[in-house]
Amino acid sequence: MENAAYIGLSRQMTLRRELDIVANNIANADTTGFKVEQLLLGTEVGERARNDAVRPGVSFVLDNGVGRDYGQGPLNQTGRPLDFGIEGEGVFFEIETDQGPAYTRDGAFVLDPEGRLVTEAGHRVQGQGGEIVLDPAQGQPAVAADGTISQNGQPVGQLKLVRFDALAALSKGGDGLYRNASNAAAMDATDARVRQGMLEGSNVNPILEITNLIEISRAYERITRMIENTNDLSRRAVERLGRTS
Amino acid sequence: MRALRTAASGMAAQQLNVEVISNNIANMNTVGFKRQRAEFQDLLYQNVERMGAQSSAQGTVVPTGIQIGAGVKAGSVYRITEQGTPSQTGNRYDVAIDGRGYFQVNLPSGETAFTRAGNFAVNGEGQLVTDDGYAVNPAITIPQDAVDVSISKSGQVQVITQGSTEPSIVGQLELATFFNEAGLEAVGDNLLMETAASGPATVGTPGAAGFGQILQGYTESSNVDAVSEISALIVAQRAYEMNSKVISTADDMLSVAAQVKS
Repeated sequence: MENAAYIGLSRQMTLRRELDIVANNIANADTTGFKVEQLLLGTEVGERARNDAVRPGVSFVLDNGVGRDYGQGPLNQTGRPLDFGIEGEGVFFEIETDQGPAYTRDGAFVLDPEGRLVTEAGHRVQGQGGEIVLDPAQGQPAVAADGTISQNGQPVGQLKLVRFDALAALSKGGDGLYRNASNAAAMDATDARVRQGMLEGSNVNPILEITNLIEISRAYERITRMIENTNDLSRRAVERLGRTS
Repeated sequence: MRALRTAASGMAAQQLNVEVISNNIANMNTVGFKRQRAEFQDLLYQNVERMGAQSSAQGTVVPTGIQIGAGVKAGSVYRITEQGTPSQTGNRYDVAIDGRGYFQVNLPSGETAFTRAGNFAVNGEGQLVTDDGYAVNPAITIPQDAVDVSISKSGQVQVITQGSTEPSIVGQLELATFFNEAGLEAVGDNLLMETAASGPATVGTPGAAGFGQILQGYTESSNVDAVSEISALIVAQRAYEMNSKVISTADDMLSVAAQVKS
């Protein structure tokens, strides 16, 4: 009898979590290099209340994980020479942080007072041979599609682009940075292209997210009603069966 | 409910975005103005179920985990130092920089400020000053009997005085460049100040390697593009609306939950 209420509750808990994720997607609809996320749901087969060969077993809803869509976001022109967008799915810039290497799709880089290429937060951008140092006296840097940076026609470094076999192993650390949570090492990506003066926008589809939002809200209401109905049913059963005439 | 705070962070970010865009539009006709852009980053993530965690005694691991984000924050608001279009004014003390560099200006406080706005004038003593009356560094004094002033591409200031046919050199304009131009601090009145992030100024003559050239009789227009600012404004407004929609949905769900009784 109580199975219906508990199954409803398991769905409501996942709906609350789905709402949190949709809210985060919408809040980041304008975040550079953001990748849309979705809750992955599965069924958890539960035990029946009593041994009953006729009726089927009950299945609860369980959230198995958060899936991230690493699809390409739109490249938006900014006109800034140190903005870099990656064209190619699942490819990242390698960044050196105090906690080890991190990976990002946000290519809005700046120069620090020593002329090193760093992220907005001041983490050093990794090149093929260590950090990349630019000389401001040599004019605007030009970046080729393979990430080679040159000034005045002379190459000064190459942006390190990496990819992973299993993208699901990447964990998010905020600030647009991903960290490698598995033992798999990053590999050099040779098939991606770097676009100078462009930044990759978020790949959130706002219309889809608003539709999800409506669905979540309606589903939550429906299940609340179902739980109420189940409660009504058991209350009436108790009233009727408990009557002594 | 986490969704409420997440959406609130989204609304705050879009509000900042609108503020930056409105400042760009307001300065569409400001001499030497460089447009700004707000850049956003995602906030920290909560690990509800950590990826790679053991899911059974047999050593199976959670392949994806559950990470839930807490919203968005402004990563930075940076200046886009793209060249503005030089516009002809005909004023002989108007100078535009074509390329990299900033003019140096002596502030009354004794500090040096940097500017791209070259709409200069001369004061009562014949000294070249900004339109606020601050002297341009290095000081250039135009003699009172000058009939014509010409400023070369390399910043050399020459005058032809009355009764003379030979031009005489009265000064040399200099430009300052920085390792990290985006690190300069804007203090209003078209002026920028050096910071630890920008690095020290490198001073040189216009036209030298790494420095821009001087155009006399022109000022540099603002590099704000009205069409792209207006479309950015539309996007920001819609994003703000969608975040408010999340708040009302979360509120609806809370009220549904609160009404469950019996």
